Amino acid sequence: MSETAILTEKLTRRFGGLIAVDGIDLQVAAGQFFGFLGPNGAGKSTTIKMLTGLLAPSSGRMNLLGVDFTSNPVEVKRQIGVVPEGMGLFERLTGSEYLHFVGQMYGLDRATTRQRSEELLEFMQLADRPKTLVADYSHGMQKKLALAAAVIHGPRILFLDEPFEGVDALAAGALKALLGRMMERGVTIFLTSHVLEIVERLCSHVAIIHKGRLVAQGSLEELRRGVAGDSGTTQTLEAIFLSIVGQDGTERPQLEELSWLT
Amino acid sequence: MADLVRSPGVLAQIKLIARLRWRILRNGLRRKNNRMDLIGLIFASVFASILVLGLSGAFYAGGYSFVSGGHASRMAFLFWAIFIFWQVFPVFVAGFGSSFEFRTLLRFPIRLPAFYLIGLAYGLADFSAIAAICWLLSMAAGATVAQPSVLAALLLVVAAFVALNVTIERLLGSWFERLFARRRTREIFVGLFVLSMVALQFLSPFLQRYGKTLQPMILRWLPYLSVFPPSLAGNTIARAAEYDLGGALLSFAGLLAYILVFSALLWQRFAVQYRGEELSETSAPVQQAKRRVTPVTEGGDALSVLSPQIAAVVRKEFRYLTRNGFAFITLLMPPLLVLLFSSQFGGKHPTVSHRSISPEMFFPGMMAYLVLILLAPAYNSFAYEGRGIQTYFTSPVRFRNVLLGKNLLLVTVLAVEIVLAIIVFAFRVGLPAQPRFLATLAAIVFIVVGQLSIANWSSLSFPRKLEFGQMRNQRQSGIAVLLAFGVQIVLGGISTLILFAGKWTGNPWLPTEAFAFLAAAAVAGYVAALDPLDQLAQKKKEVLIETLCR
Repeated sequence: MSETAILTEKLTRRFGGLIAVDGIDLQVAAGQFFGFLGPNGAGKSTTIKMLTGLLAPSSGRMNLLGVDFTSNPVEVKRQIGVVPEGMGLFERLTGSEYLHFVGQMYGLDRATTRQRSEELLEFMQLADRPKTLVADYSHGMQKKLALAAAVIHGPRILFLDEPFEGVDALAAGALKALLGRMMERGVTIFLTSHVLEIVERLCSHVAIIHKGRLVAQGSLEELRRGVAGDSGTTQTLEAIFLSIVGQDGTERPQLEELSWLT
Repeated sequence: MADLVRSPGVLAQIKLIARLRWRILRNGLRRKNNRMDLIGLIFASVFASILVLGLSGAFYAGGYSFVSGGHASRMAFLFWAIFIFWQVFPVFVAGFGSSFEFRTLLRFPIRLPAFYLIGLAYGLADFSAIAAICWLLSMAAGATVAQPSVLAALLLVVAAFVALNVTIERLLGSWFERLFARRRTREIFVGLFVLSMVALQFLSPFLQRYGKTLQPMILRWLPYLSVFPPSLAGNTIARAAEYDLGGALLSFAGLLAYILVFSALLWQRFAVQYRGEELSETSAPVQQAKRRVTPVTEGGDALSVLSPQIAAVVRKEFRYLTRNGFAFITLLMPPLLVLLFSSQFGGKHPTVSHRSISPEMFFPGMMAYLVLILLAPAYNSFAYEGRGIQTYFTSPVRFRNVLLGKNLLLVTVLAVEIVLAIIVFAFRVGLPAQPRFLATLAAIVFIVVGQLSIANWSSLSFPRKLEFGQMRNQRQSGIAVLLAFGVQIVLGGISTLILFAGKWTGNPWLPTEAFAFLAAAAVAGYVAALDPLDQLAQKKKEVLIETLCR
């Protein structure tokens, strides 16, 4: 059996009376490209924030690469790379300065940091604006820089919160190319996205969270089999997602309510 | 085809916008954090009402006395005062305005004339406009009571003056908006603003020294002011009071000419906005020649004695400091302040006191004041991190190292500033005796290091986000400010007592010894506090991230 990269047990996060994440048990094997899906407000970002140390869980356990997060946060963080919600960039540094900063925060020596920064900036096509501050980067350039910073130390798990949001096809291509390289290295990638086509194309395994609870988890094939039952039809991820999340009908817009549009 | 039956009229649109602004204000106050703002708003309103009403009385008296005393030409002074207030005040209070952007109206189907009129109506709803109109009417009432025959001329001039001022104010506002759309321009402006505020401090000693020389020069230039709108307005009233209809009409025509010119300019500006002006921060993409990335200049290995994480934080903090126009320019303050205070209170020719103050007390007092200024940012040291704060929590770094890096740069900057200030002090006033000098240096170490732990705690507990190069909504946490002042007063009080203890006991070295002991204790306390602060950072990370990433 392959090594487990991410394991959570009864992971829960409350905000006052609201339970944002309700006792989820996640299991992601090492080397998987894992898509974490859910409608808005389902608890995706809260989960990824807990898994990356940005948010403390109210209860439950998180184990990454066999190390307990709560008791060894620094050791775990050494092994992971993160593109958080909002990207977490220092906007008054240049792209190169930011990569140097992050490299050194992960304990890389200066020569290694310099070499990797230069290569990453070239790969991401960010090298032609050496003096431009991150604040003046376009959204796509910021996403590329955030991903470059997340991989500079060679992480074993990569957490990406909506990496393709607001990114054009060119920038998305660069992001996918880098993710492909990381997969070849055996890196586990944990990704949240609203763009189901991208998840379907990239991810081998998927989990769906709805109203704080994990409602489905498995490989794409397993999910398709679960939804199609004995009929044997091939379902798209969107159809699977809608059938699981929209089962109670509350998520579907009721067009008949817009009388003036008839 | 859209279902639109007819476009609403200009008045209906103005009403809609007034209602919208009111709702934005009301909904904003519903948030818990903004309740304190409401209290502040009430206080500000009461204060503003007193100011407006009080000055209205003064303008009434001015109008009455100038006209009844046969000095109607002096009405120009009143017009000048109102003109300057109306045009300058909005620039200063820009930071307290509503976040509603006038330009967002452009998404709706309004015509250019309506856009223009709504823009003017916006200008008339500003505090400066309301206050200025109150004063103009008071002045007109005073002048009318003194000589009822000038009423017609006054009403015409006041109406024209209001139209002119609101047009100029909107024009300046739209130019500023275009100018400040660029981040760099905003930062330079804030820097220049701070510098000009500092420069104003030197005005009083400058005038005391050179005022008499400048007086004839200023008087020689005064007649040239007569061609400007406030003088023309005053002259119209003066001519009307003297029943010189031709002169009054000529001056009034001049005023109308200004209105025409500025209205044309404003129309042109609004037309550009109406067509869709590009004010984006991001420059358009250009095809650039491919070249290899330029390695970051890291300034040698001066920081190699530090751990890579602490060194990275120090470098990042230094870059942030040099790119923050406001913070960087305030670094000029300490030597400038020594120069200012030494010219007023010390040295051979003090301008405020006739006897110069002895450096024995002046030196420690001056140093304490500088430490107060330089340490203030430490109480909200994450203010400019923005979303970057997340990097600290996702990196494998203990937060104590982040605090160490930040404190290290602050202490280095403070040391450089203090040395510069001491050099200026020695040049201007002279240094105190050796025991007092060394006691002050040891006291600085005690006060600075003693405060750092508290400042770190404050930064973690009461963070407030600040933006580079912006004056709008740039406020520190009230608790952090109170804490900073409280701690400085307590530490300053202790230090003063110790300094005087040396005098009372007749042992000049006693304060030095006491401060050396306290400084050592402060350093030990600082080191001991790092681990608890590290734990506190983990507890407070959600508040920090939420506040700074907003």
